[in-house]
Amino acid sequence: MRKMAIAQFAQSAGVESKENLMDFTYRISKEVLDKAGLKRSEVGCVVIASSDIFHSGLSCANAIDWDGAGAFMVEGTRAEDSMFAFIYACMRIMSGHFDTVLVTSIVKGSENPENDTLTGFFADPFYMRPLGINETTAAAMQMREYMQRCNITEEQCAKVVVKNLGNALFNPYAHVRKRVTVDDVLNSDVVSDPLKALECAPKSEGVASILLAAEDKAKKLTDKPVWVKGFGTSMDHFNLGDRDLLNGQLKIAAGRAYKMAGIRNPKKEIDVAEICEPYAFQELLWCEKLGLCGDGEGGKLIDSGVTQMHGASPVNPSGGVLAMNPYVSRGLYRLIESAMQISGSAGGHQVDKKVKTALAHGTHGFAGQCHSLVILEG
Amino acid sequence: MADEKPKEKPREMRAEVTVPYEMAVGSNWHRFFEGLKEEKILGTKCRKCNRIFVPPRSFCPRCFDDNEEWVEVGQEGRIETWCYSNLMFPGQTLKPPFVPVQVVLDGTDMGFQHRIAGFDLSDFEKVRALVKFGGRVRAVWNKEKKGTIFDIDYFELVT
Amino acid sequence: MGKAVAIIGTGQTKHGRRNDVSYPELVREAVKAALEDAGLTPKDIEGVVSGTMPSMMEGISDTHLYFADAICEVGKPVLKVETCGSTGQSIAHCGFYWVASGAADIVLVVGSEKMFEGDGQATMSTVADPWFLKPFSAGAPGVFTMQAMEWMHRFNIPEDKAREAAALISLTNHDNALNNPFAHIKITMTIEDAKNAFIITYPVRLLDVCPTSDGACAVIFASEEKAKKICKKPAWIKGVGFRGEEYFLGESNKSIWPSATEAAKHAYEQAGIKNPLKELDVAEVYNPFTYQEMIFYECFGFCPRGEGPDYVLKGTFTMKGELPCDPSGGVLCTNPIGASGLIRLAEAALQVTGKAGARQIDGAKLALSHAMGGIDQFNGVTIVGADL
Repeated sequence: MRKMAIAQFAQSAGVESKENLMDFTYRISKEVLDKAGLKRSEVGCVVIASSDIFHSGLSCANAIDWDGAGAFMVEGTRAEDSMFAFIYACMRIMSGHFDTVLVTSIVKGSENPENDTLTGFFADPFYMRPLGINETTAAAMQMREYMQRCNITEEQCAKVVVKNLGNALFNPYAHVRKRVTVDDVLNSDVVSDPLKALECAPKSEGVASILLAAEDKAKKLTDKPVWVKGFGTSMDHFNLGDRDLLNGQLKIAAGRAYKMAGIRNPKKEIDVAEICEPYAFQELLWCEKLGLCGDGEGGKLIDSGVTQMHGASPVNPSGGVLAMNPYVSRGLYRLIESAMQISGSAGGHQVDKKVKTALAHGTHGFAGQCHSLVILEG
Repeated sequence: MADEKPKEKPREMRAEVTVPYEMAVGSNWHRFFEGLKEEKILGTKCRKCNRIFVPPRSFCPRCFDDNEEWVEVGQEGRIETWCYSNLMFPGQTLKPPFVPVQVVLDGTDMGFQHRIAGFDLSDFEKVRALVKFGGRVRAVWNKEKKGTIFDIDYFELVT
Repeated sequence: MGKAVAIIGTGQTKHGRRNDVSYPELVREAVKAALEDAGLTPKDIEGVVSGTMPSMMEGISDTHLYFADAICEVGKPVLKVETCGSTGQSIAHCGFYWVASGAADIVLVVGSEKMFEGDGQATMSTVADPWFLKPFSAGAPGVFTMQAMEWMHRFNIPEDKAREAAALISLTNHDNALNNPFAHIKITMTIEDAKNAFIITYPVRLLDVCPTSDGACAVIFASEEKAKKICKKPAWIKGVGFRGEEYFLGESNKSIWPSATEAAKHAYEQAGIKNPLKELDVAEVYNPFTYQEMIFYECFGFCPRGEGPDYVLKGTFTMKGELPCDPSGGVLCTNPIGASGLIRLAEAALQVTGKAGARQIDGAKLALSHAMGGIDQFNGVTIVGADL
């Protein structure tokens, strides 16, 4: 496989921007190109990530995003999710047709209605939508099943929120930055029982941009290349009833990425993991499926403290999606945090240990219908 | 049973979708709309390629550099292209028939989207006789200003 | 430069008003046909790319989730790629790069739209921003008409001549569609019918404009090794290109359309094509509007700038002409948007593999396929050939 690396990156902070979508996009892609000392027209290819859920009330978001992403008359395309965009960018480099790809993902949460007004559009119009199924109600059903079948407690799920929001206090790019206790979480409003308000990710805005480059080029564009070692995606059935909500496709997607990266023992080999957990309990469930602990041991994992920022296997030192949830962009945010951890540039949220290998994960769809992950290495 | 075809045709189900949004105009376009309130058309200039953008862009999509210079441009211009629209669909702002136009305002380098009006548009043959490529048009201001694109009510033909 | 990639199977639905099936059932029809064509089972598929028009035309977003079962995605690596009307070409390019990267040997690409379930113009016009473009939007016809007017003016093309040529394009496409079992609009018409049809956006009339259709298309891409093993006569990907201009319509000159010109140039360079009119045997041009089709001919180098109507009127692009265009009847007769660009590629592949039936161009070996999207913003091109 052709070697490639993340050469440069930039991300917007979670605060609401008064800029319009086009200007907001420009500022971040421009920052990446300036860091790399690269002209817009010198980029081999541009891949934009945006949503077709009428984010910002616009359809075909690639159209308005094109200028700000620097794509005028450059070979380019758009993917529905930022993990997809990144993985597709990797393929374009691996094909040998391009040496550099600029990946930019765009979401302006402040312009959108509530997350679930939009995730409700994933549902088919005949069965699920009339029944009020959206990402949150689907996740609540998954959480109940997880608690029942694996003896996970509400306290254990709440601890994920305490940990992640605690980490976010040190991350200037996070959206929600406040210290909370297990009691705060348990006493927050019930959104969709057993899910409480603090256990659900916010609605954030975020433009993130990554310059990916083939080996030779990467070495010229940065002195700290972060190598892409492997990636994987997988898709589950559409109907919730057709699925085992606790044994979905993450294990399969992870298997693909691990095989590509030559990882045999993820628990030992992954130094830090950035996991997409729009609902607190999902971090525990996803950790199991990623092999960071045994099946059904997600509760014990959080109790043990190893996933704390200063633990042996830190998970979401950025604060994760619970602290920052720009829907489509959240995959690139995971990748950027992983790259920062590897290059030792995470500042206040840098983990204690030496990070060689990091995992970045993304998911979308009801209860993790689709999973993607990327393995990075220093 | 299994081989029996349903007697009725599978039916269709009616559904409708409305979603509210709060969209940031941004400082750049805000300034443009404030200008319209004062009956001024403002553009930005790229310091590298010197093109003048209306609507203003905070950056040049080609040179990828910040546009920091503001200029007031002409309120007259030439017709770059136009059409006569007889089409109606849900969500359309203007009722047909109407005449969308791209005007290259004096002092600018690109087409600015608006409409031509100010005379009877019901007969397209008459419209066609009046609206010409390269023809001159002038902004007609709405008396009531709301800081939207309709502060310019329409462009009239300059004869 | 990358591994060789081939198309080893294609499938289309019968396009038209398909209220006999639900949306997932519709896409499954195309996938099933493509698998049958390639002689594969879902098990053989190593990755799936899907895409529709990214504007929720059917009121459903992220359709790759909804179609998971229908398009064999379950348990497989997937990607979702969409770029407005050019989606069909963009997903094809994704399939191409996926296989060229070596990450998979067999990738299924699926594009679809069920336009009768929503209002096409209402959803499409939300591509336009609410401040500057949307208020004056006359839907897709308005945009394309303004472009056509600009083109006629710039090259001093007399209105009557353009009208005559556009009518002939309409007639050619509608006649061609009669030979295509998948086509939506199948009517017999005359030049006079085209010239006297109802005005949509002057000078564009009803028969100059594509319909809205329900339909899906699936194409299977394979690596050289697999293609040679599985398929007797694969269609080889010779070149791909995609370009886009600025968002605001007035900024680039659409009468010479840089994105269409450069996308084709990029693809020609890879395919080693220097004289497209002579070297190409057939082209499947994305032609939702007759007038616009002539602009494409010029951008793709099929004729000099401003001479599109002359070449059309001397019959260059008819079935018996020097470079037959859209033997399928094109987008003008069938337009399920998210599938339209992929249908162009599938048709091009059928032509170079001699499988195009009644619409076959004898001995076709090299074909261009194309799609356009956005507010005249994007163009994608794929060239396929009979030889590696």
